[in-house]
Amino acid sequence: MVLTDASRIMTEALVQSGADVFIGYPITPSNLFYAYSKERFPEFLAGPDEISVLQWMCGYSAAGKIPVTATSFPGLALMTETLNMAYMMELPMVLVIVQRLGPSTGSATTGAQGDLKFLDGIISGGLPLPIFSPSDFKDSWNLANEAVKTAVEFRTPVILLTSKEMVMTQKGFDINLLKALNRVNNPIKNFEPPYQPYKAGEDMVPPFVPLGNEELQARFNASTHDNDGLIRKGTPESLANTWRLREKLEKRIDEFFFYELDAENGATNLIVSWGITADASRDAVQTIRKKGNKISLLIVKTILPISSKIYEIIDSYEKVLFAEENMTGLYKEMIFGKRNNSKVKTATKFGGMLTPSEIEKMLFN
Amino acid sequence: METSDKILTKAKMPFCPGCGHGVCVRSTSKSLENLGYGSKDVVMVSDIGCSGLVDPLFATHTIHGLHGRSPALGFGVTLGLDNPNKKVIVIQGDGGATIGLQHILEASRRNVDMTLIVLNNLLYGMTGGQMSGLSTNNFKQFKHSDDNAEPYDIVNLAHQAGAAFSVRVNDISNFEKILKEAIEKPGFSLVELSSLCTSHGMKKISELKNYIVEEEKFTNNRPVGVSLRRNTANLFNRAKILTPQFNSNISETIGVVIAGSAGGGIQSAAKMLAQAGILSGLYATMKGEYPITVGTGFSVAEVILSKKPIHFTGLENPSVVLAVTEDGWNKIKNRISSTSKVLIDSKINSEESYTTKEFLKEGGKKGAALSAVSYWINESKVFPIEALLKVVEGSKYEESLRSAIKSAENL
Repeated sequence: MVLTDASRIMTEALVQSGADVFIGYPITPSNLFYAYSKERFPEFLAGPDEISVLQWMCGYSAAGKIPVTATSFPGLALMTETLNMAYMMELPMVLVIVQRLGPSTGSATTGAQGDLKFLDGIISGGLPLPIFSPSDFKDSWNLANEAVKTAVEFRTPVILLTSKEMVMTQKGFDINLLKALNRVNNPIKNFEPPYQPYKAGEDMVPPFVPLGNEELQARFNASTHDNDGLIRKGTPESLANTWRLREKLEKRIDEFFFYELDAENGATNLIVSWGITADASRDAVQTIRKKGNKISLLIVKTILPISSKIYEIIDSYEKVLFAEENMTGLYKEMIFGKRNNSKVKTATKFGGMLTPSEIEKMLFN
Repeated sequence: METSDKILTKAKMPFCPGCGHGVCVRSTSKSLENLGYGSKDVVMVSDIGCSGLVDPLFATHTIHGLHGRSPALGFGVTLGLDNPNKKVIVIQGDGGATIGLQHILEASRRNVDMTLIVLNNLLYGMTGGQMSGLSTNNFKQFKHSDDNAEPYDIVNLAHQAGAAFSVRVNDISNFEKILKEAIEKPGFSLVELSSLCTSHGMKKISELKNYIVEEEKFTNNRPVGVSLRRNTANLFNRAKILTPQFNSNISETIGVVIAGSAGGGIQSAAKMLAQAGILSGLYATMKGEYPITVGTGFSVAEVILSKKPIHFTGLENPSVVLAVTEDGWNKIKNRISSTSKVLIDSKINSEESYTTKEFLKEGGKKGAALSAVSYWINESKVFPIEALLKVVEGSKYEESLRSAIKSAENL
């Protein structure tokens, strides 16, 4: 056993998975990532601001490296334009977003789950960005690894969405549960000549050729572009290229869809939770069952894109309670919209951790 | 480096008639070819605006990014490549240099090996001829702009920030030669080229000279910023492995709140309590709360100890509250429930009558929290005090920590 936190676990997992460089700008409550990364990453760079951080990361990524950063909402807000650039250029990288209480600078040392809808729409046009949210320490290890794998396989930025309480709280943890991870390689895939930088095969992901390659000309482009990587406004080829960015993720979601379903036979009620509220939901479920009531629990770990499997599970229950640490239930709004109906309830809390007893109370309210 | 292939594609120049950008592209190509660079040896980084139209003209590696951010993007490419045989060239306009000024200063300060060409046509061409931070006052008068503050001297700013080479070129016929000098200079080089915008500025190059600032050239002899890679070790290699070796007789989950002031060892006392719990075969969590200023005001920590795995790490009703200063007490006194065991320092003013102990007097300012934790362990017998003594074993502060733990025996 060691007494540790999820920042340390995720940092170690990212490096073992092959992440090359951490580029960061300090912001509470993501600072433990900054500190651990300074100690652990093969290369560490302190950027002068978050825009520079993500631009530098794009440069490293285009040169064939896997960069990582960690920030919170104010930093993410500054990174937004460049995140769109990385998405459009199809650059692999991982961003750890540690949620804290907003709006604005809010309360830097108070946790929250308030950035979900911002991330849902962060890519202009509503294109999906892969978002993983660990529900405990084991997830922190595994999903950090999956984030690197997904970033490379799908040529995309990936978000690890967590919260202050997950990455700063220490827990006794058996590190023998953490399996050693293999470095994710990024070889140039086979392609049908002639090479075109954004021409994809059946897997919808173009081969990644880094800048500086001795044989092939690499082109990266943030604007709407054709298969050659050249700006083209409104041509069928260039628009298809942008459609492909959505389709490569949505059509292959099964390859990176992670969830945990604790289904109880005969249960008609389902609690849905994610991230830091998952553990409170686990405790609430234990108590509810001890009292002789039937209940199932769905913990969603791949938050975006939304898998149709989520709808299937939710549809098989009569009542669904969404448990989240925000004002109105942001994940619930992503699934059902803002309008409540008789099937859907929310257990939410703003400015503090939602407790197991509050979840239990809302379920039977 | 290969020299057989061409730097430019055969694409037609997309610029307005008379625009200076086309000459810049051709001169850049000639400079690179004369220096022996082949197309796969060069990464051309381009910006947004008319200067960004250069992207399809280059047969080199290319990356076409955002408005003003290309010096930062080029910075990342340079360090990411980490290859002295590759040359990174960034082209942006005066608008890009204005919005992304920080990136130019940072690349200069770190002196990374790349060359930035700033095509200064004194305005934002693509959006209708608005003034930029590099527009000169003469030109602003000509354009009837209200802003009469002096423009940024980007060449001198880069120099002051540490660029190896920075220069302004007003005569385009000298550009190729000077660009060659910039490319050859190790470290960060910046070449500002005065350029004509025939659509929104002057129509003739002969008129332009009335609206630009004088040429200047600077050098700095400084180390070149490079990528620093190192070997590192697994973060858990030096982790304190806690193998249970004591017993605990607790039956219920216990939540302990420890409250005091910044610098009073609250967080470390809580961490040691959690570690001692694990050494006693318990599951344990620990979390802290303090103002963002860290070094002043309250410091509060929560520890949960349980025979069962702990999921939720919040503390709804603390079983035990240990307060050693007024700061900490004021922060947590409202969380006390009727079932909470409360132990406070005798100097704390409390309206209720709680058990008081002289934690501060016995443990000292830095040891009071640990003294309180030790007192509670001794009194409650949750596990042997030896578990806590085991935790501090080998610490560089072992002596003072042991002394704080032992001080509890006097209470």
